[in-house]
Amino acid sequence: MKFPRTSGGFYAWLFQRLTGILLVILLIIHFAITHNLPKGGEVTYALVAPRLATATWKVFDLTFLVCALFHGLNGVWMVVQDYVHSETAQAWIFYALCTLGLVLLVLGAITVIPFKA
Amino acid sequence: MLEKPSVIKRYRLHVGTIAWILHRATGLLLVLYLMLHIWVIHHVSQGPAGFNKVMKAVQSPLFLFLEIGLLGCVLYHAFNGLRIIIVEFSREGVEAHKQIFAAMMAVAVFLFLVGGVPMFIHFLHVLAG
Repeated sequence: MKFPRTSGGFYAWLFQRLTGILLVILLIIHFAITHNLPKGGEVTYALVAPRLATATWKVFDLTFLVCALFHGLNGVWMVVQDYVHSETAQAWIFYALCTLGLVLLVLGAITVIPFKA
Repeated sequence: MLEKPSVIKRYRLHVGTIAWILHRATGLLLVLYLMLHIWVIHHVSQGPAGFNKVMKAVQSPLFLFLEIGLLGCVLYHAFNGLRIIIVEFSREGVEAHKQIFAAMMAVAVFLFLVGGVPMFIHFLHVLAG
């Protein structure tokens, strides 16, 4: 399938949907395993740490992190584009959102990657 | 966003409009939660003491109760999001968008009960000490 030439907005739109579908799947796994639903109960270090120390969960959590941050901040960016009309203000907000995303990505990555139980 | 034409006094609230407003509202709430979540979970780097301390704070009765609302926001946003994708990608979807909304919400409500009831029981247990 060949897509027509478009502005960057097309990719923002497409990736919002792809990450959205992925997030539904990742969230169901997250609720079932991390939060032990439908049984539920307390989340403690003893329950979380052994999982987070494995490579599989590191990959899972990093995928989750990237998808959630992109989806969330791209969503905010869509709302901003609807209500903020000044191009200068839009540009500043865009860079602010990118910075916020980068900070949260690093914070999440340094939590997950070097973790040992 | 296009400017509202002056002849229009107010927009009528159709199913799609309400779904759109709720999608935005839950989406913005979820971004705020995501930031809090990344910061809270970062405490796992400090070992059992640091992690359990912060987790105790965010698993107080107030937070456990709010968490049920969080599950509701997640499920609404997830299943309305899937509806948006279906409606965008199929002609039949556009015609049946209200039925698709109803079906998606039925799944969301079902999952809300499956997850929310045990969360509420856990909340009551913690509240009772």
